[in-house]
This record gives sequence, C-alpha cells and structure tokens, in this order.
Amino acid sequence: MTRYAMVIDLNTCVGCNACMAACAMENQTPVWKNKWRTYVHDKEIGMAEQVRRRFFPRLCNHCSNPPCMTVCPTGATYQRADGIVMIDPERCMGCRACAMACPYDARYEVSYHDIKEGRAFYGEEELQRDSPGMDKCSFCAHRVDKGLKPACVETCVGSARLFGDLDDPNDPVAQVVASGAAQPLMAYLGTRPNVYYINDMKRRG
Amino acid sequence: METMTYSTQDIWTWWLAAYLYFGGLGAATLSITFLTDMYCRANPRLVLWGAISGVGMLALSSLVLFGHLLHHVAVIYVINPMVLFQEPQAWIAWGTQFILWMMVWGTLYAVPYMRESPAFLRLPLLGTLLQTRFAIWLSGCCQKRRRIVGWLATINGIGTAVYTGLVIQSFPAVALWHNPGVPLLFTVSAFSTAFAYLLIVLYLGKPSEHHELLTRRYELFDLILIATELVILFSFFNYTLSGSESGYRSAQLLWHDMGWLVGFMGLGLIVPFLLNLKGVVKGWSTSIPTIAASVLVLIGGYLLRHYFMYTGVYAYPW
Repeated sequence: MTRYAMVIDLNTCVGCNACMAACAMENQTPVWKNKWRTYVHDKEIGMAEQVRRRFFPRLCNHCSNPPCMTVCPTGATYQRADGIVMIDPERCMGCRACAMACPYDARYEVSYHDIKEGRAFYGEEELQRDSPGMDKCSFCAHRVDKGLKPACVETCVGSARLFGDLDDPNDPVAQVVASGAAQPLMAYLGTRPNVYYINDMKRRG
Repeated sequence: METMTYSTQDIWTWWLAAYLYFGGLGAATLSITFLTDMYCRANPRLVLWGAISGVGMLALSSLVLFGHLLHHVAVIYVINPMVLFQEPQAWIAWGTQFILWMMVWGTLYAVPYMRESPAFLRLPLLGTLLQTRFAIWLSGCCQKRRRIVGWLATINGIGTAVYTGLVIQSFPAVALWHNPGVPLLFTVSAFSTAFAYLLIVLYLGKPSEHHELLTRRYELFDLILIATELVILFSFFNYTLSGSESGYRSAQLLWHDMGWLVGFMGLGLIVPFLLNLKGVVKGWSTSIPTIAASVLVLIGGYLLRHYFMYTGVYAYPW
C-alpha cells in the first residue's frame, strides 16, 4: 500500500512563498481574496537582539482520521486508498462544517462570485472549477497520479518540503518520520496527520 | 511547536446560531405539544398552535441553513433519506432527516385537528384542501394511528434537539464544543425554551378547560430545566478553566463578557428561574411575571447559541 505524506523542514524554509505561488497557479486558488491551499506564516520569535523570523508553511494535513470527512453530510470529502483527502466539488453543498472541523485551518470557500472572478483571473477556457463549494490542498493528486511531485514540493528552493510514501521503508520521508526527527501537528487530537514538521527551535537555540 | 496562535472563527456565525436555536425550539415545541396531547389532556388548540409554530420554526431554521449554502443544488444529497446509510457518521445528515420528518409527522398529527377547526376550514386554500377526499382519508388514518404518528414526531423532535448539540460537538479542535456536555446543554435549553414559548401561547390565548393544570405543569418543568441548565453551565465553567488552552481562552471570552454574564446568565436564566420559582411555590396573582420570565428564557436561548458559536477558540501551532 501507498500512504503519502509530507515532511516540512522549518530550518530550511526561507519564506520566499514560491510554494504558495506555484500552488495557486497549479490549482487556481482564489488569491484575490487571500485564500490559499498552502500558506506560509511569517512570525517574529524572541525578544530584543534575540528576535528572529520563523516561516511556517501549512496546508491540509491529509489526516488518516480526518474530522472533515466525518462531518461531511454529502460524502463530498473522501479519502483515496493512498491517504489523500479529496473534495468532490459536484457533491459539496458548501455547509462549511468541514472548515469548522479542521484543526489546521486548511479549508476555504469558493463562492459563485469566486468562480466568476476565477474566469477573469485564470481565463474562461482554463478555469477547471465550475461549481461553488469548499476547497483545500489535494497534495496535487492529479500530478502525483502522473508520477510527479506536488507543485509546492517541486518549486521549493530550500528543499524544505519532502513528499513521499510512508509505507516504503526506502523513501526518505518514511525514514525521517521513523527517526522521530519530524513530528505531526496536534497529534493529541487523534486526527493522525500525514504532514510532519522538523522543528527549527532546538538547532537555533 | 513552540509558537501558538489563538483564533475564533467567522465561518459559522449568528445565522448558524439562529439555525440551531429555531431548530431546537421548533422540535421541542412539537414534541411537548404532542406528548401533552397524548398523555396529559387532549388539547386541539395547543396542538394547532404548537404544530403550526413548531413546523414554522423548523422551516425557518432549514431556510436559514439553505440560504447560506454555497452550492444549493447539492443539497439534494442530504434531503435524500438514503444519506443515513451513505453518511451515517455525519450529524448534519441525521439532523436534516430529523428536521424533515419532524415537519412531516408534525403536520400529519395536526391534520385531524385542522379538519375539526372551523377557523382552518374557512381559510382560502387550506380550507378547500382539508375538505378534499384525500384529506378526509388522511385525517382518518392519522386519527386512528394518533399515538404512532405522535411518537414518530416526538422521536424526530428529540433527535433534532440533541442533534443541535452533536453537530458542534463533532468539531474536535475547540474544547468548548468538543465535549459531551454540549448536546446535553443544547437539548435542555431547547426544551426549556419550548416550555417558555408554550407558556406564552397558553397565557396569551383564550383559556381552555385545562389551562390552570397545563400552565402549572409547564412552569414546573421549565423551572426544573432552567435549574438543570444552570448546573450544566457551572460544570462548563469549571471544565473550561483548565485542561486545554482552547477551553481556557473560551472561558476568558465568555466569563468576561457582560452579554453572557448579565444578558444570558442573569436575565436569560437566573431571573426567569426566580420568577418561575415564586410562581411554582406561591403563585402569581397575574400572568405577567410568568410571561416576562418566558420571554427572557426565549431570548436567553438564542444568546446561549450565539455566544457558543463566537467564543469557540482554535489553537493553531504556528
């Protein structure tokens, strides 16, 4: 079996936001209202001369026990056999319960207005979406199915993002996760996230 | 991770609070009305008022939710009863079915009473419909199986009231919502507000034969429910004070807000409790204090849901 996961190394993320741009172009996200499938938080940490910036990329965690899927009343949110959590835009009625259930703030809404804006922004012919509803990261499933990496991983200049198969012991992602160097976010919630972070705090002291 | 961001949400706001409020109130109103009619005293006027307003509130609640959907056509997937087999883990699916069937059984229970009411028979369109052969047959069937119809409505009503709490309990990131107290609190509140609403109906309507008996009982039940709500809220207060940062932040928002403390806790619960307590123990010479208490309970019921939606805190590790 394949179980896709991502490892994000906070030590090497330089906050260039190229991942956000690549994702937006690949997945036609409503950037005009500042909504992204992946977002890099820019935060100042520390005091006085100790202060420094930390860049924190976030995205859908493709949880193995996804609360967004549990609450979805229409079955629009579903999980593929390889662990990728997807949304079927045709089935999504846009009740937003999934956005309420997500502990990682990974979901945003696409309205009728956004589709109209999208036609103008991405082009009438090119816009892939024609029904409103909720949207989120899909690990670029359409690319992964062709053997490519997600757009954000492909474009990352600092190699801060690694994408791979947790069930393949030879995959670097599986090895980093198995070593314990990378940890998921809020594991205590029982969501079993499949995005792992290598902390930068210990190294920078 | 060492950094945290705390945030309330702007996804489900006052409109969702209104959905939960009218859903719970309408469902509990229908359940109480039918149980009273079946097991206490047959009361056509109460059934008609309870059924019409209850179904009206459920319809309003559904319209509020429907109006806020992003993709209205896809609602067909939750209206289809098969959704309970396809998505049995989703409380919205259950809630939609509870509400829909509650409206169906609630209307059917009231049909025989509508046919006996001259006022209804005089209504332009409904009056004609009630005198059709189908309506006469339907009314006969419902009359013959009154208790089955009544219980089907009641079960769906209780289901709806519990659902209003379960739906926000299913959001795991917010401690204020994700705990077993929420469905209990919302169910008690739904039935408390429904008793308050029916007391207003009874006092403002023409007094019936069993007026005194019913109002005394409803006041007593409402008093017990308000007391229960106060106990549940006290346990919420303790629960949110420690244990998780999300809960603690919610406690800070709630228990430092005058709208919650004075508006909901004070005027929406404690004052009606005291007014009802005096009414139950010694009685009032006029109905005004009981009506005032009921109005306050109704306002408090909305405030509870409003504040719950706005003070749920997400703790993000970035």
